[in-house]
Amino acid sequence: MTTTLEKAPAPTPEPRGRLAPVAPYASALQIAGGALTLIGALLPWATFVLNEGPYPEKATLEFFTAPLAVTGFRLHLVLFGIAAIVLSLVTVPARGRMLQGLGWGVVAVTLANTLYLVAEGGGLGTITAADGAVAFGPIVALVGGALIVLGGSARRREDKPVWAWRSNRYVEWAILLVTYVLLLLLVAAVLTSGGQGTAANVYSGAVFLSFLGAVGGLLAALQASGLLTWIAAVSERHRLFSVVVLLFVALALPLTQAGTEYWMTVAANIGVYAATAIGLNIVVGLAGLLDLGYVAFLGIGAFVAANLSGAAAAQFDIEVPFPLVMVISAVVAGTFGAVVGSPTLRVRGDYLAIVTLAFGEIFVRSSQNNIGGFTGGSNAIPGIPPVSAFGNDFNDELIIGSVELPRGALYYVLIVLIVAAVMLVFGNLKNSRLGRAWIAIREDEDAARAMGIRTGPVKILAFMIGATIAGFAGAFFAHKTGTVSYESFKFLESVTLLAAVILGGMGTIPGAVLGASILFVLPEKLREFADYRLLLFGIALILIMRFRPQGLVPDSHRRAELAPDSGVPPTPGTAAKAAAS
Amino acid sequence: MTGSSTFLEVRDLTVAYGAIQAVRDVSFTVEEGQIVSLIGSNGAGKTTTLRTISGLLRPVSGEVLLGGVPIHKLPAHEILGRGVAHSPEGRRLFARMTVEENLRLGAYTRKDEAGIVSDLDRIFDLFPVLGERRRNKAGLFSGGEQQMLAIGRSLMSRPKLLMLDEPSMGLSPIMTQKIFSTVRDLQQQGTTVLLVEQNALSALALSDRAYVIDLGRTTLSGTGRELLADPRVQEAYLGEGVAS
Amino acid sequence: MLPTLLSQIVNGLVLGSLIGLIALGYTMVYGIIQLINFAHGEIFMIGAYGGLAMFTYLLPTFVQQQWYLALPLLLLAGAGVSVGVALIMERFAYRPLRNAPRLAPLITALGVSVALQEGVRVFYPGATAALPFPKVFVQGTWAIPVPGGTVPLRWTGLLIIVVSLVLAFALNSFVNNSRMGRAMRATSQDRDVARLMGIDPDRVIVLTFVLGATLAGVAGILYGADLGFINIDIGFQNGIFAFTAAVLGGIGSIKGAVAGGLSIGLIKALGGQYLPGGTAYDYVWIFVVLIAVLVFRPQGFFGETERVRA
Repeated sequence: MTTTLEKAPAPTPEPRGRLAPVAPYASALQIAGGALTLIGALLPWATFVLNEGPYPEKATLEFFTAPLAVTGFRLHLVLFGIAAIVLSLVTVPARGRMLQGLGWGVVAVTLANTLYLVAEGGGLGTITAADGAVAFGPIVALVGGALIVLGGSARRREDKPVWAWRSNRYVEWAILLVTYVLLLLLVAAVLTSGGQGTAANVYSGAVFLSFLGAVGGLLAALQASGLLTWIAAVSERHRLFSVVVLLFVALALPLTQAGTEYWMTVAANIGVYAATAIGLNIVVGLAGLLDLGYVAFLGIGAFVAANLSGAAAAQFDIEVPFPLVMVISAVVAGTFGAVVGSPTLRVRGDYLAIVTLAFGEIFVRSSQNNIGGFTGGSNAIPGIPPVSAFGNDFNDELIIGSVELPRGALYYVLIVLIVAAVMLVFGNLKNSRLGRAWIAIREDEDAARAMGIRTGPVKILAFMIGATIAGFAGAFFAHKTGTVSYESFKFLESVTLLAAVILGGMGTIPGAVLGASILFVLPEKLREFADYRLLLFGIALILIMRFRPQGLVPDSHRRAELAPDSGVPPTPGTAAKAAAS
Repeated sequence: MTGSSTFLEVRDLTVAYGAIQAVRDVSFTVEEGQIVSLIGSNGAGKTTTLRTISGLLRPVSGEVLLGGVPIHKLPAHEILGRGVAHSPEGRRLFARMTVEENLRLGAYTRKDEAGIVSDLDRIFDLFPVLGERRRNKAGLFSGGEQQMLAIGRSLMSRPKLLMLDEPSMGLSPIMTQKIFSTVRDLQQQGTTVLLVEQNALSALALSDRAYVIDLGRTTLSGTGRELLADPRVQEAYLGEGVAS
Repeated sequence: MLPTLLSQIVNGLVLGSLIGLIALGYTMVYGIIQLINFAHGEIFMIGAYGGLAMFTYLLPTFVQQQWYLALPLLLLAGAGVSVGVALIMERFAYRPLRNAPRLAPLITALGVSVALQEGVRVFYPGATAALPFPKVFVQGTWAIPVPGGTVPLRWTGLLIIVVSLVLAFALNSFVNNSRMGRAMRATSQDRDVARLMGIDPDRVIVLTFVLGATLAGVAGILYGADLGFINIDIGFQNGIFAFTAAVLGGIGSIKGAVAGGLSIGLIKALGGQYLPGGTAYDYVWIFVVLIAVLVFRPQGFFGETERVRA
C-alpha cells in the first residue's frame, strides 16, 4: 500500500569539532596561559649576551639585576598576559575570540624574538640552558600563548557583538578625531619601531616583527570585541569628516617621530607603490583581470618623465613643468594600457594573464636594449632633477615658522596627496556605473554581457585607467629617485604589486595600501635577511593563497572570488522556507 | 521495509550545495535484485541523491549503507569497487575516445584482461551497433547509441547495483523502449537497478518499488503498480487520463 | 648564406627539442587540472642543479671521467630531484587549492616559482652566479657538409634532439595506449565521470606531475651538458618559452608541445639572425608570437576548437 513518509524532526545542532572535549576547561586554560605568559615574560630570555650586545630590552640574564625594568616586547607580553587572565575571569561578549587574538599576539611576539635569539645566539642553547645559565622565557611564553589560543578557541563560538551606541554628532566627531590621532601615532610607532636596519642595528628586524605581532594581536582582540566595526560604522556615518581628518592626519606624519629624512623616503616609496597597487586593484580587484605585467606602466610613466626632465641622458632636451609631466606620463601609460588591454576582447582568464606577462617582458627587454634611446638601457637615465616649487627643491628641508620639516617631507606630502587623489578616483569608480559593470564582469562575464554590458570597451577601460594611475605614480617615482632603470620594472615587481593587492584584500582601498606598506616596509626592516627576502616572499604568497585568500581587509561586498565556497554554513530554516513556498 | 536482502539503504540523507539544500532527509531502500525507481519533477533532488550515493557529493547528514556498511564517507573511486556503478545524467561519455576505450575505462578497476575481453564481447552482443563501430569516437554517436554505450560502460565494472540517471532523456519512444527492455534483461541476469526517471510512466511500469521525491524529500513510496494507481502520482507526474 | 641559414636552423632545432621536452610538462598539467604551472620552469632548473649536485658531491672521480657512466646517473639524479620537488609542490601547494577559484592556484604557482628559484639561489653553494656544468657527453661538433661550407652540430645538441624525440614518442604511446594513460585522458575530459569509473583523480594528477617533472629533469641535465654552465634564471626563461610552445602547439596535445617547441626554437634562432635588433630582441619575438597566438588562435596547431561533449 502507499505510505506517506513523515519528515523526521530536524536534529538539534550540536557543537562539533575536535576542541569539544576541552571546552569545559576553557577558563582554566586561559588563566594558565595568561600566567605562563606573565612568567615567561619575566624569566630571562637568553643564556648569554649575544655578540652584537644584549638582546633588546635586557632579555639576557642581566634581567635579574633590574627585575622591574620590563620594557619593549616583554612589556607587551606582560600586558597581554594580564589581559588574558582578566578576560577569562570577567564575562565579556565574544571573549573567546578576543582571547584568540591576544593569544596569537603572544605567539607572534614570542616567535619573532625567539627565532632571532636562536639564530643570533647559535642554537637552542640560547633559549634553554647553557654554561650553567638558564633562560626558559621564550618556551614558557610560547606555551602560554598557545594555551590562550586553545582556551579561546575551545569556548563556544559567539557572534561578534554589535555595538549600537550612538551619540550626537560632536561627541562622535571627537571620538573619531581621537581614534585617527591614535592611528597616526600607531603607524608612526610601527614604521619607526626597531629603527633603521643597518649593520649597527642588527635587532631592528626582531623589534619590528615583535611590535607588529603585538599590534596585530591587539587589533585582532579589538576587532573581536566589535569596537573596530563600531568605529567603522561611526566613520561611515561621518564620511566627509573622516576623509578630511584622515588626510590631515596622514599629512601630519612628518611631525611625529617618523619625521626624519630616512622615514620620509621610506614613506614616499610606500606611497608610490600604494598608488600603483590601487591602480592594479582596479584591473585585478574590480574587473577581475589578472595583470602580470602591470609594473611596466609604472616604468613607462617613469621613463616618460625622465625624458622630459632635462636630465643629461634624456632623449628630449626640454624641461617640462612637473604637473604637466605627470599628465603626459599618465596619458602615455594609459595609451599603452589600452594597447595591452585590447587582447581582452578575445582572451580570457589565465591566457589573459599570460598575454599581460608577455607585454611586461617585452617592455623589460626593450628598455634593457635602450629602445629608441628612451630608456638608457643598462646605463639607466640618471640625474633627473628633483621637483621644485617656488624656488625650493622638494629634497630640501623646510622651515615654516617654528615647525621644522625634515628633508623629503615635501615629497611625502606630495605622494600623500597623490594617493588620496587615487583613492578618491578608485572609490568613486567602484560605486559608479562603470564600477558595477567591472564587478559584474568579474563575477560572470557571460551574464554581464547578457545584461547588456559592452564588456569589451569596459575591460579595456579598466586596463587604461589602471595604467594611467601607474603612469602618474611613475612620474613621481622618476623625480623622487632621480634615476630610472629598467631593473625597477621586472617581472618580480609585478608579482610583488599583485601580492600587495592580494595580501591587502582585492577590491578594497585600505587593502591595497596596507598590502603595499607591508611588502615594502618589511624588506627595509629585515635588511639582514635581504638574502631570504624573495624566498620568504614566495612562501608567503603560497601561504596566503592557502589560508587567507581574501586578504587582510576583505571586500565585504564581493562574493569573494578567491575565498572558499562554503564559508557560510547552511541555515536549515531559510532553505526549508524557500523550498516549501 | 528492512530485510535480510536489503542491498542499499539511504537513511535521512541531506545534501547541500553551499547554503542551498538540494536533498532533505531522503530515505529509501533497494532490495537485492529489484528495479527501484526514484521519480519526481525536475530539480527535485533525484540526481543529487544518485551523485551522493556514488560518492561525488558528501552528505551534510544522513547515511548511505551498502549491505549494511556505511559508504557515504568513501571517495567515489572506492565506491565503484564495492559494486555500485553510476551512469550519469546526460551520458557524459568520453567524447574524444573510441567506443572500446570508453568501455575499457568502465573496467578501469579490473585487472583481469581475459575477463575484460569477454565482457567487451558481451556488451557488443547486447548492443551490436557498438561492436560494429568500436574504433569510432564516442562523440560522433546518436543519442540512443550514446546511451547504450553509457550503460555498457557502467556494466564493464560488473556492478551489483547499477544506477541509471535519466536513461531515456532525449531518446525517441522506440529507443526508450529498447533501453528499458535492456534494463529488464539486466535485472533478470541478477543486477539490481536504481533508476532515476522523469518518464514516470515507463519507469513505474518497470519497477518493483518506487519512491517519489518532491522538493528534496521522499513524499510517497510503494510498488510500481501502487504508485501508478495513486491519484496523487497520476495528477502530478503522469498527466490525466493515463491511469484510466 | 646557406650555411648560416642551415646552422641557425640546427640551433633552432636543438633549442626547440629542449623547449618541447619542457613544454610536455606544461601541456599535461594544464590538460588535467587547467593550471598554468608557472613553477614547471623551476622544476627544469632544479633538475639541472640536482644533477650537478650528484656529480659534484657523490660521484667518484673515475665515474666522473667516463661520460657513459656519468650521464645516465646524472639523468637519473636530475629526474629524481625534479620529481621529488614536483611531488612536494603538488601535495602542499596545489592540492589544497583543488576546488578554489582559478586565480588562486595561478598565484600560488607564481609563489612556488619564486620560492624554488630563490631557494636554490640561497641554499645551493655558489648558485648566486652561473656554475660550470660537467661535460658528461662527447664534446666537439659534427661538421655537416653543405653547399658553400659546413653546418656545425654539437654532439650534445644531437643528443638533445634524439633524447627529446624518443621521450616524446614514448610519452605519446604511454598516454594513448596504456591503462593509466587512458585514465589520464579520461580525467582531463571529465573528472567527475572519471571518478565514477573508479579512477582516483589525485593519483592521476600525481602521475601527471611525475611524468612532467621527469622530462623536465632530463631536460635540465641535457641543457647543462650542452651549454656547459647553468644558473638559476634558466627556469623562468625556458619555462616561459616552453609555455609559449605548449600554447602554440595546442595546450593538452603532446604532438603540439613538440611542434610548438621546435617552432619556438626556430623563431628564436632565425629571429635573432634575420630580424631587426638581432639577438638582443630574439626574446621579444617569442613574446610577440605568444601574444599573437593567444589572441588569434588560442587553440594552437593541434588544440580542439571547442570541447565536444554530447
